[in-house]
Amino acid sequence: MNSDSCFTFTCPVKTNSGNIALENLPVELSGLNAGKPLVVTNIAKVGRKAVRTLTGAFGDSGMSLGVFDSLGDKVDPALIEQLRTTFIEEEYDSIIALGGGTIVDSAKILNLTVSLKITDVRNLSAQTPVNRNLLPLVVVPTADATGLETAQFARLNGAVLSSEYLAPVLVVIDPRLTRGKDVKTIYATGLAALGRALESHIIAKENPFRQAYSFAAIRFIRDNLPAAVRNPDDKKTTLAVINAAVMSGCAFSGTEARPLHKLGQVFQEMLKIHPGIIMGMCLPHILDDYLHHDGNGLASLLHPLTGDEEFAQTPEVQRAGAAVSVLHRFMADLHSAPGKDVPQTLREAGVPPYAIEDIFEVLDVDPNGVYLRSVVERIRDKTPMAEKKG
Amino acid sequence: MEIVEVVRAGGKPFKRAYVSIFLWFTGRAIQAAAKVDEQVRREFNSLPDDFTFSLGVLPDGPWMVIGREKGQVKYLGGDPEGRHLHVRLAMKNIETAFLILSFRESTALATARNRLITEGEVPQALAMIRVMDIVEVYLLPKMIARLAVKRYPSWTPGRKFFGRIGIYSRAMLGI
Amino acid sequence: MVLPDYYEFCCRVKIVAGHDALEQIPGLLSEKGAKKPLIITDKGVAGAGLIDVVSRVLQDRLAGILIADNVPPDSDLRIVHQLAQFYRDNGCDAIIAVGGGSVMDTAKGVNIVVSENASDLMAFSGAGALKRPLKPLIAIPTTAGTGSEVTQVAVIKDHEKHLKMAFLSYFLLPDVSILDPRMTMTMPPFITAMTGMDALSHATEAYYCLQKNPLSDAHALSAVSMIYQHLPMVVQNPSDLNGRLAMSIGACLAGIAFSNSMTGIVHNLGHASGSVCGVPHGLAMAILLPYGLEYNMHKCEDIIARLLLPMAGETDYLNTPKEQKAQKVVSLIRQMNEDLHILTNGRHARCFREVKDREGKPMVPRETLPEIAGAALLDGASMYNPEDTDYTDNLMVLEAAWEGCPLDLSKVKKG
Repeated sequence: MNSDSCFTFTCPVKTNSGNIALENLPVELSGLNAGKPLVVTNIAKVGRKAVRTLTGAFGDSGMSLGVFDSLGDKVDPALIEQLRTTFIEEEYDSIIALGGGTIVDSAKILNLTVSLKITDVRNLSAQTPVNRNLLPLVVVPTADATGLETAQFARLNGAVLSSEYLAPVLVVIDPRLTRGKDVKTIYATGLAALGRALESHIIAKENPFRQAYSFAAIRFIRDNLPAAVRNPDDKKTTLAVINAAVMSGCAFSGTEARPLHKLGQVFQEMLKIHPGIIMGMCLPHILDDYLHHDGNGLASLLHPLTGDEEFAQTPEVQRAGAAVSVLHRFMADLHSAPGKDVPQTLREAGVPPYAIEDIFEVLDVDPNGVYLRSVVERIRDKTPMAEKKG
Repeated sequence: MEIVEVVRAGGKPFKRAYVSIFLWFTGRAIQAAAKVDEQVRREFNSLPDDFTFSLGVLPDGPWMVIGREKGQVKYLGGDPEGRHLHVRLAMKNIETAFLILSFRESTALATARNRLITEGEVPQALAMIRVMDIVEVYLLPKMIARLAVKRYPSWTPGRKFFGRIGIYSRAMLGI
Repeated sequence: MVLPDYYEFCCRVKIVAGHDALEQIPGLLSEKGAKKPLIITDKGVAGAGLIDVVSRVLQDRLAGILIADNVPPDSDLRIVHQLAQFYRDNGCDAIIAVGGGSVMDTAKGVNIVVSENASDLMAFSGAGALKRPLKPLIAIPTTAGTGSEVTQVAVIKDHEKHLKMAFLSYFLLPDVSILDPRMTMTMPPFITAMTGMDALSHATEAYYCLQKNPLSDAHALSAVSMIYQHLPMVVQNPSDLNGRLAMSIGACLAGIAFSNSMTGIVHNLGHASGSVCGVPHGLAMAILLPYGLEYNMHKCEDIIARLLLPMAGETDYLNTPKEQKAQKVVSLIRQMNEDLHILTNGRHARCFREVKDREGKPMVPRETLPEIAGAALLDGASMYNPEDTDYTDNLMVLEAAWEGCPLDLSKVKKG
């Protein structure tokens, strides 16, 4: 421990994961002094069955809950203002967000408006102070989680509101809801988790509290993602992947935005592509760059990425390089499994060539824009990973 | 706004019935075991004279109540309402109760998984958990009881055989 | 890393760690909208000059600080109510707890009374009685051991009615824990050794007990590594600031691990030997830890073996054959006790027979072991131990730990 200044870490999120986790919701809510939750979700995304599983879990509890299942693809200020009114008039006392990504962003913003009595959602900005406890927000992630559900920020159409109070108070991961609809979904979720966990782990060199989360996330992805993409219907491995996603959000909170995360976000915001798809493409390139510039933090990745035996056998000076090659092998294996189901080039991901220029425009504003642009240029011109590594 | 649908939580009658019957029988079996088994008797003797214990499901049952009355251990029915309870073991919901009472999760594992809420003094709660473990060994075939307890005890065949007969017949008859 | 069928994990405490962590307090208080904190501590901590260090940091940046240093070594209901009154009379708006377990417990108790505006703390005992956040509480541990800066439990004793009340709620978690090496630097080697072993026992038991989960595992492994590496260093060289910080961090990680994974036979028998014979908690942990591992060996050999790498490092790990790894962990912990025994000139006891009070009288006469074995049946930690324990099991372990000889593994009952 040689750091001269101090470091901090905080994770306001409680995790409940596993068999019949949802059925504990009534007890959990009552412990938070809540008894009338409003469920918000997007039924087109999560499916009717997921909503029924969630409401069914309240069976025998005597509670009643509100369900709003028509959230859209983006955070809609007008809709949130409407929901805010209903929430207050019908005296709801807590929010359950079912799903991932923008569903949870909407829930966080809704929580902000009902807890802090904000009437005009459009006035919210990165400068809006959020410095006290909000009402209980529970997140129930589905297979398409992005990992940012547990993060301490909310995105409102370009603006990022950041505060530890925005994080959910509880995340409930239930195997009935984590099975992937398809290979692509679980692949993207897993790689978004891996990408953010890797970046957090590198940054958190001397912060073992943060590294506890990133370590567990990376290890779970390594152990479970290959099996999960081969069989996205498997309860056990998909549950582990969503666990990793949740942990990656906890680990990532409070760190500076890093290139992988940033690139994933830009594509998601502009083209609605799951950040994991883009992060998966960029990951090998960015890690190679890390290795050539400052391999220091990379060495710490070897242990979570391999295991006790391989880590112990690798001499210290070789660990950074070994970590990168393990990752290359991991990605190649991942791509060899699902064949054509997983987009490995920007074109396959549905990025039209003309959109790249718009992406560049956004990236150019970033302080690290030159570098980010170079990464996008490399993935634009590349051949699929599986072919290259054979 | 009409777009918010209000859903009232339904019931789970089948699981409730299973759990009710199970709790009823366990209550009577504990009463019987206190007469038949020396170790169970000792555990109860260490508890206060008016000791009352309840096991059941949140938020509103089913429950079973066991108590000591004039030195005798008695099954006191399924309604803890209005009673002063020394120890209450509450399973967090009906699904949890079903999981535990169909022996898919041992008491120890269920505790480790935060599935039970214990109220009351810890030493008394532990005594009741030991009692329930013993009763389970009597009531269940070894194959199933092994899943329900941490370590299957090495009793003499006599203790198990006569104890089992005694407890089953007494529990059936309610004596 | 295994994903259990079901698990829960929660640690909402903001951790602030570093050589100038204390300096962050005014900023942290103002984030919470607090201006007038009450510092709760005990005479020992104040006497060691630690409150002066804290006050010096705070006084320039805060209008008023109040100090109450009358927390007894054992938390006391009367003092809790007295301090709550003091807090209200002076219009305080936050609590800073500086000390060990008893101070933390007392501060949590005071916080319940002042936040809930309660006339009797008793009404909030047990689990689930608290339903909303309390007043801001900042915890500054002065031992690297108890982990109570990150636990959701408080134990308050009512000495008049001879009652011990437990309070359990996530709302009891401090808002912030400050890990600053200046707060542990003055701890004498003997205390450092046993509180450090207390922390090691938290991490180790958290790693093998039934409630273990991936996040408690990650915290536990990291804690084991930091504590095992740095404990002998700080016992030898108490003013090693980097080592002290590492110990505080390790103990905090261990606290997070065990408060989410619980503890087993080591704590079970340790609590009992404390209540029957008054053995200092950390010392009991140090003595019992190897036996806890041995007792559970047949159930968790693989798990125990995984502690070897964070303890011994790569070379020893690779040089130990697979089937000996778990046993090696046990012998390293025994060796650690031996080393601490030498470094503290014999004050760090290696077995119960060596535990002595201030006058040099043995604290654990052999004939008290049956009483300890019986008392352990009243303690909840047994629930989370992988193997079942009964009176005879307890006595067998205690006898071996009294003698200081390894447990005869063939005698451990396997179901």
